[in-house]
Amino acid sequence: MILSDLLGSDALEAGGRRVGGVVDVRLEISGAPAQLLSATVVTGLLVSPRTHFSTWGYERRGEDGPVVIARLQRWLHRGSFLVAWDDVELVDEGRVVFREGYERLDPMLPQAPRED
Amino acid sequence: MNDGSEPRMPRRDPRAPRGRVLDAHLHLLDRQVLDRDGTPVTTVDDLELDGIELGARIEPGSPPPTVLAILTGPQLLMRILGGHAPPARRISIPWRLVASVGTTVQLGVGADSLDASWVERWVGRHIIGRIPGGRHDPE
Repeated sequence: MILSDLLGSDALEAGGRRVGGVVDVRLEISGAPAQLLSATVVTGLLVSPRTHFSTWGYERRGEDGPVVIARLQRWLHRGSFLVAWDDVELVDEGRVVFREGYERLDPMLPQAPRED
Repeated sequence: MNDGSEPRMPRRDPRAPRGRVLDAHLHLLDRQVLDRDGTPVTTVDDLELDGIELGARIEPGSPPPTVLAILTGPQLLMRILGGHAPPARRISIPWRLVASVGTTVQLGVGADSLDASWVERWVGRHIIGRIPGGRHDPE
């Protein structure tokens, strides 16, 4: 599957209620980077209740500058949440369905990646 | 695919990451790809994910999807305009060749070994190489 097919999909609860759009896919690189990276797995989906698209990720990073843009972006993406991949029941064209009783997790990144 | 067979990867909890965490769109899409010598190769136009079957229910405890390859070439237009390039037309760089991810995506191999740089090689050989002085460094 192509990543861009997943981005922008409607995020639905098991009962069919729409809870937002998939704006990003959280990945985890397993193990410490060696000469070549080890496997990189999908750990969750980021959902924004009001939009299908996220540009600069202010809603999941601790950075605040420029302040006006950061506030605008945080307001636009208020209520964003992360859903663990284990709570995803179905991926179909244009929609993702979460399991019954799925958990809404904090979307904040543990640490913004920097140049090594 | 997620067929409930022997897991390829242990399950991951996004609340307790054991490795480095990235968001695919935020940290990878549109980033420049450099080869092991720092030569620009292409940009990350899209990613191919393995382990997601459209329309199929995902069994609890199934292994998570993995990143299979960086896609480039016609994939950028497809991402903007919609649709899909035929698999044979996709230019992909296997994810296992990626050495590090930062502001750029660094590969652990030389650009000459990749399909993604064939246009540059072709232009260099057939066009630039035929211009007088085009086959050596400036003096």
